[in-house]
Formats: sequence, structure tokens, C-alpha cells
Amino acid sequence: MGTRLNLSLVIAGLCLARNAVADPPAPPPTTLYNSGDPTLALTPGLRGATAAPKGAAPGNPDPHNLEGVWWLQGYQYLLGPEPGIAPPLKPEYLRILERRIRAKNRGTPEADASTQCLPHGMPRVMESPYPIEIVQTPGRITFLHEVAHNIRRIYLDQPHPQGVALSFLGDSVAHWEGDTLVVDTVGLNDRTFIDDEGSSHSTQEHVVERYTKIDHGEALELIMTVEDPVTLEHPYSYRRVFRWRPDVRPQEYVCEENNRNAPVNGVTVAK
Amino acid sequence: MLGFVALSLAAGAALAASPDLSGVWQLSGRLGAVKTTEGGAPPLSPAAQALYAAHRAAAAHGDYSYDGVTRCLPPGLPRLMLMHEPFEILQRDKVVYFLHQLNRLPRRVYLDEPLPTELDPHYLGYSVGHWDGTTLVIESTGFDDSTLLDNAGLPHSESLHLTERYQESPDGRHLRLRFTVEDPKTFTRPWSAQVEYTRRSDYRLPEEVCSDTPVAARPRD
Repeated sequence: MGTRLNLSLVIAGLCLARNAVADPPAPPPTTLYNSGDPTLALTPGLRGATAAPKGAAPGNPDPHNLEGVWWLQGYQYLLGPEPGIAPPLKPEYLRILERRIRAKNRGTPEADASTQCLPHGMPRVMESPYPIEIVQTPGRITFLHEVAHNIRRIYLDQPHPQGVALSFLGDSVAHWEGDTLVVDTVGLNDRTFIDDEGSSHSTQEHVVERYTKIDHGEALELIMTVEDPVTLEHPYSYRRVFRWRPDVRPQEYVCEENNRNAPVNGVTVAK
Repeated sequence: MLGFVALSLAAGAALAASPDLSGVWQLSGRLGAVKTTEGGAPPLSPAAQALYAAHRAAAAHGDYSYDGVTRCLPPGLPRLMLMHEPFEILQRDKVVYFLHQLNRLPRRVYLDEPLPTELDPHYLGYSVGHWDGTTLVIESTGFDDSTLLDNAGLPHSESLHLTERYQESPDGRHLRLRFTVEDPKTFTRPWSAQVEYTRRSDYRLPEEVCSDTPVAARPRD
């Protein structure tokens, strides 16, 4: 009897799983709070990178070798726990996010760091529609971002230095937990936004990234966790996948050449 | 079996022959106008000489508008290698990375590949390299002609072809660069020059952001 009951539970579970696969997922909200308010319209995400073309070198199955070029699959403008969902901002910071989204929808977005050719900050720099090259050397993992030639130097198996100076991309240290690289970042200035829509963070922001190779080295999974006791009600996490792209060579990216939308009095004016 | 042993020894010798240039380096001293290895000025053609003179005249009254570095643009080559800001080399089997403190500029040198013949112009061109014994040899072309060759305003054309030869001193504390400039549209003949870098052990390159630096404080040499 017990066995049959268990079996029927398993079958019920399989049916649920089948249904879950058969039903298309609900589309992410297209407005903040799914309110339908057009002044709070969110910028739709991008598809992002596809798999490498046929004939490209296969991914390296060594879980501790992350070296090579990776490219984000999908790109979100709002970096909450799910696409279309805002980070768990405190009410006063939700008001600021609303203000920024409305300004964007009026065609006069508030200037953020990247419009001034400044580094994108964290976690936003990892949400880029441009490739990222990882270089792995003794004691170090280096992220070379095509976008705005951002560089992250990540030091292995050591603590953050005492009294770290604030910077756009912060101070990053890492260690391996099994086959997962855990990167810990602090020391971030508050001149960047969490995401492209304008969610705020403070200098107390603390970001933890967990990278694990999946799909036999053809993809890299990132679980991003963001903590900020000033702007967030509580920490939150989201998942991303980067594609292995050995066919891609990062290109020279010169934001400074085309910076024709430098802000005036803190507001970007297209020129 | 003997053949295998001989091959292994040869492979071991080849591995030992490639020094590891990884680490942080900084130009020993500061450079203004670059001098050739013979100690003279680079052999500019008359038209290029006129352009260079215009740059010098502007600089003499504090006008550096001819220099994209003042607008945070990449300085081009070999000038990037002639500036005082430290840089870090990350040496891998297939690529050597030069990561510069100056506005965090990266440079990639792809090893044991031919230089492509069709290249779009880039500020830092396109670089391939190989090991010639213990010397890292880098060939670069595909340059944008808006950059300068040195910190004093030496011009070049899009025909610039640069060869760099890097050799570490036996004690590993210094790195010597001997470079050759070929640009028949700018110079009457190829010419070479030499500079030296000092190893900066334990120095971590800070996040240097040109757009966040006042214009007057942006490095030009």
C-alpha cells in the first residue's frame, strides 16, 4: 500500500512537471509592479548571446578552468529576483526608481555612470550585452569586459584589504567551494545603479557571485546575491547563464569617442 | 625511445626558454620626444615634419587639443608603452595581455598567428606575437591615424607597422623594449628606439578612470 501510494505520488509529480513544461511561462511584467501604467513601462530585455557556431572549440569540461570568452544569454534592464520584478527596495528607494523610470519614458533619463563613460558598478557590469573574457593566473582571476574596457581583478584565497578605498567596481576576493567559484565584492561607491532602470545601492552594498560551469563547459551559471542594508529590505538573488564563445574576440570599445550625451545638471540630454 | 627522450628534452628546453613576463612594470623615468637608437630625431618626411612642428607649437602655449589622450581616447602605440603609468602583463600560452593603469586600457597579443591583412583601424591596432628564444616579438598594424607615436606629438599614418621586442633582464627586475617603426607615409626610412621598464612587485593597479579625472590631471606622458 505504502509503495503504491508513493508510486502514485511520483506519477502525480511527473504530470505536474509535464504540465509545467507544456505551459509557456507567464511573460514578465512590462510595467513596474505590473501596474499597466505606461509612465512606468520597463525596457524589454534582450535575447543576448546564442551558442557558439558549429565547428567552434568545445567548452573545457574542467570545472575549475573558467578561462575564455563568455557571453550573457538574455539581458535584463531591471535586476530583481525575476525578470520584470524590481529589487526589494525600501519604499523611499522604490520612489526613486519610479522617478527614474518615468524620466526615461519621458525621453529625459537621469544620467547614470555609464553615460559618462564611468565603470558600470556592481552587479550591473555583469549584465552586459557584450562579451566578457576571463583570464586565470596564479592567485588571480581577471574579468576583461568588452563594454567600456572594464576590468575586474579578483584575488583568490585572501581577505579584503583593511580600509579599502571605494571604487566603481569595488574590491573582489574569491575562493572555490567545490566546483563553484564564490566571488565577494565590497568597497563600491554609490555613483552607479544596481541596474539599467535605476535601482539604487549604497556604499554598504555587498555582492556575492557564485559561478559554476554547466552543460559540459558550454555554459557558465551565475547566482548573483545582492545585499544592501541601506537601500534594500532584504538580500535577494537571481540566476544568469553565460555562453561559452571561443569564436569571439573582444573588440576595442571606446565610450569616450562617442560620449555625446554627457549629462547637464545631472540629466542626460541627447545631442 | 631515444627519439622520444630527445624530443622531450627539446620540448623541456623550449619551455624553459620562454621567460614569464607576468607582473607589473613601469617605465624607468619619463620620456618626452623619443630618440632613435642612434640618438637622433626620427626621420620625418617634410609634410610630417610640418605637422609635428604644429603640435610642438601648440603645446608650447599649453594647447594639447591635438592629443586625444586629453579627451580620454586611447594613446595608440608605441606611445602607450612610452607613458609613465604602470601596466600589468598576464602571460598565457596563446595570448599575452597588457593591462594598463592608464584608463584601464587592455591590449591583447595573439601568439603564433599571422597578422591579418584586412583590418579596420583601431586606436591600439591589432597585435600578434611569438617567442624568438627568450624575446617576445610583437607585430602590430591596423592603426587609426589620429593617435601619436610619442608623448611629444610625433605623428604617424594608418600605414604604421610596429615591431616590438621585449627582453627581460637576467635578474628579472627590468624589461627592455626595442621597437621599430615602419611608416613610409610619415618617415623617410624605418627607425628603432629602446626603453626600459622596472618591475613593480606587490603593486596593485588601482581603478583609474580618465572620465572621472579633471582634464588638467590626466596623464600625457
